[in-house]
Amino acid sequence: MTPSTGYLLYLLFAMGGAGLYLLLPQPGKSRALPGVALSVLALAGLLSVLAVKVIAPSDTSAYFCLFSAIAIFGASRVITHRKPVYSALYFVLVVISVAALLVLQRAEFLAVALIIVYAGAIIVTYLFVIMLAQQSHETVYDTRAREPFFAVLVGFVLMAAITGKAVEPATTSEAKIVTAQFAQQNLAGAIEGLPEGNTADVAAALLTKYIVVLEIAGVLLLVSMVGAVALSRKKIPVEGHGLPTRPLGQIGKEVEPF
Amino acid sequence: MTEFLTSQFGVSIILAGVVFGILQGAVAYCIYFERKIAAWIQDRCGPNRVGPAGLLQPLADGGKMILKEDVIPGHVDKNLFVLAPAIMFIVAFVGFAAIPWGGQLELGGKLVSIQVASPDIGLLYILGVASMGIYGVVLGGWSSNNKYSLFGAIRATAQMLSYEIPMGLCILVIVLTVGAIRLEDIVLPQTAYWSDVIPKWNVFLHPLAFIVLFVTMLAEANRTPFDLAEAEQELVGGFHTEYSALKFGMFFLAEYASMITSSALLAVLFLGGWHLPWIPWAQPEATGIAAVIVKMLVMGGKIAGSLFVMMWLRWTLPRFRFDQLMRLAWGGLIPFTLGLFVLTVGLLYFDKHQSPLWTLGGNAVVLVLTLAVAGLSRRDVTGRPASLPSLEGRSLTHGRLAGDVS
Amino acid sequence: MIRDEDILELEEPKLSAAERLYLPQILGGMQTTMVHLGKTLLANKKMTVQYPEEKRTLRLENYRGIHRLNRDEKGRVACVACFMCATACPAHCIHIEAEESPWDDREKYPAKFDLDELRCIFCGMCEEACPVDAIELTPHYDVVGRSRDEMILDKEELLSIYDKTADVKPRKNPRITGYPEVGNRSEQGPSDEGEGL
Ligand code: SF4
Ligand code: SF4
Repeated sequence: MTPSTGYLLYLLFAMGGAGLYLLLPQPGKSRALPGVALSVLALAGLLSVLAVKVIAPSDTSAYFCLFSAIAIFGASRVITHRKPVYSALYFVLVVISVAALLVLQRAEFLAVALIIVYAGAIIVTYLFVIMLAQQSHETVYDTRAREPFFAVLVGFVLMAAITGKAVEPATTSEAKIVTAQFAQQNLAGAIEGLPEGNTADVAAALLTKYIVVLEIAGVLLLVSMVGAVALSRKKIPVEGHGLPTRPLGQIGKEVEPF
Repeated sequence: MTEFLTSQFGVSIILAGVVFGILQGAVAYCIYFERKIAAWIQDRCGPNRVGPAGLLQPLADGGKMILKEDVIPGHVDKNLFVLAPAIMFIVAFVGFAAIPWGGQLELGGKLVSIQVASPDIGLLYILGVASMGIYGVVLGGWSSNNKYSLFGAIRATAQMLSYEIPMGLCILVIVLTVGAIRLEDIVLPQTAYWSDVIPKWNVFLHPLAFIVLFVTMLAEANRTPFDLAEAEQELVGGFHTEYSALKFGMFFLAEYASMITSSALLAVLFLGGWHLPWIPWAQPEATGIAAVIVKMLVMGGKIAGSLFVMMWLRWTLPRFRFDQLMRLAWGGLIPFTLGLFVLTVGLLYFDKHQSPLWTLGGNAVVLVLTLAVAGLSRRDVTGRPASLPSLEGRSLTHGRLAGDVS
Repeated sequence: MIRDEDILELEEPKLSAAERLYLPQILGGMQTTMVHLGKTLLANKKMTVQYPEEKRTLRLENYRGIHRLNRDEKGRVACVACFMCATACPAHCIHIEAEESPWDDREKYPAKFDLDELRCIFCGMCEEACPVDAIELTPHYDVVGRSRDEMILDKEELLSIYDKTADVKPRKNPRITGYPEVGNRSEQGPSDEGEGL
């Protein structure tokens, strides 16, 4: 990894950030065209740099590029689309393409769990809420980004830092070895050692090494569930219904004609 | 070329084409048989005009679907309106990829599976794909921009989310019992016998889970008595009110395709897949081409049986009311399947999960407990709403005021 | 006003524990439907009438199919153009143009009598209303036409339907058929045999 590659990466991130900033829904006239152009350029550049320099070409790198491109495209549409329903659907797209990336890493269980839990349940619930809330056309403040500039700035600086750290030449010798190994082994090679079916391994790891974390997560979920039940069980008084409070059978008897 | 054709990849590709073709036909004829069965149950004859005994009716229906005007109303969200039936259709058919149709076939000295793909997580793959089917309903209902469609979509969402839980728990019971989530590995242990007579089908171990899974599959496929999403009396046509022609046809076909997937899954999980006791061709050792054909027929027979029961139920039962539906899932099926699940885990701990005596005994205990809870609870099942004044103290006979003679 | 005694309170029967599982009732229902299915399939007990080949037997007297305009015993149109049917018709599908009758026993006769069979709801009110039983509904129901115009029957067509169906369903014996013989008209007036007209 030469320093020039690092600068190239930062430049690409800056381009991508600028493109996304232009794409975010804001008042004023649409600047979609330059935004799209910038973002597409940045994305293509990023992927080619990654494909050529970082991950050695293998038979799965084409899929890697394809699905990560889809994921990034979907993720940017989630925040740039003006209609909430479409945003939720692009979220589904992101989840599915990330699941595909996980399959490439032979983490099939995680991939399918991601689809079942996120796409199959959580986003459906989002859609449910959006459908109920957004029947008429959207209000102005719902269709524009709040702080587009700072959001993009923070997001992209963070992303650039992480990526740069991941691909930059390591300073310490230990990290150097790891990075060198990472760079040498291609994506397929790195996962060659994994067994074909690793669902059992995931389970074993979860229930032995990470049992405490698992339990804490379970307790947290239980707490939130109890809270939800407690909140939703509020009784509405009968009188509020406008239902008869007199004993049945007397209705009409006492009512005089006006 | 022959090498390619006899490799697993080649067989998978051929099988994908064949299975897709067969399923298209099967789905069309499902609709035919649904109409026939409905007619027989109601003392009628059903379609009998097109071709002998009406057998060409599906072709005529298909032709009609294609030739009708495809209306896209002006007020709909066009992209999603077009996307929804496509999602529904695709999702209904890709699930078939992981179903083991006929064991293994010996081709040029090698064994290949009669299965389009055999992912390690086969069962989860089918569940994952099936859980995407909801998007077709939701998007179809929402994009129609019609309040009845929206109601249908909302009902379908709530229903599918609720019934996925007992369904998953039932499947977990089997996964724990068998110890595998690859579908062939679930079939294989079921081909053994207890004392050389009774096949080790999972239905003999967990009959209650079998019934509950069947019920939840009805709910997932939006079949009566759970077809609230398209309750005609209340919602016009439910989520597909605005659809016509081929788009409506796609929704229609997808419903039957997902019924077939559910039935196939049921057969694999509980009924031994392609296995039939005492028939030499339907054993795992038989790998000839004849054996594969027999196995596929056995599998098809089991699917057909399950489909028949689904249709039979549809023309027997009225539809649930929505609160009853929700109460059945959350108050009935989920605690019940949780009980079964805990039972299985307990048996697994004592290593008794494969012994029918223990599982059946445990099933009986769970059932008796459920009956006791149901009998003791004073809450009505169908219920006068609690918000109404109580009828206690008013001397009511069965449905009539006491002393009311006329 | 709703009286106390009028209110009928219904309470659902309490379900037993087994009934709350739904399964016994469901199985009972399935048995019923299966018995029907078996009977239909095996004993071939189908209720369906295979329409174009088979036809149901109809009640000649009161089946309400397409209309006809009756002829009286002299072969003339029996209608006296009184407009009762057009007035009674809830679908407004009868259009009559009356003219002075060329015959002596009645004042008017319909020069034009159009009936739109597509608007008609076959309620039979016209038949009820007609004082001389001139318009009647026949048990003929399989009527087709290639256009809307074809389905508007005029006087000649309605009379020809009478000619076709007269031997199956003769005109009922009307209590009045018109005025009595000419010449007595001024003396006797309209109230001869038909009391209450
Ligand atoms: S049958 Fe009824 S609707 Fe038809 S012409 Fe007579 S009165 Fe009118
Ligand atoms: S009611 Fe009878 S007599 Fe009068 S106009 Fe109609 S058909 Fe003619």
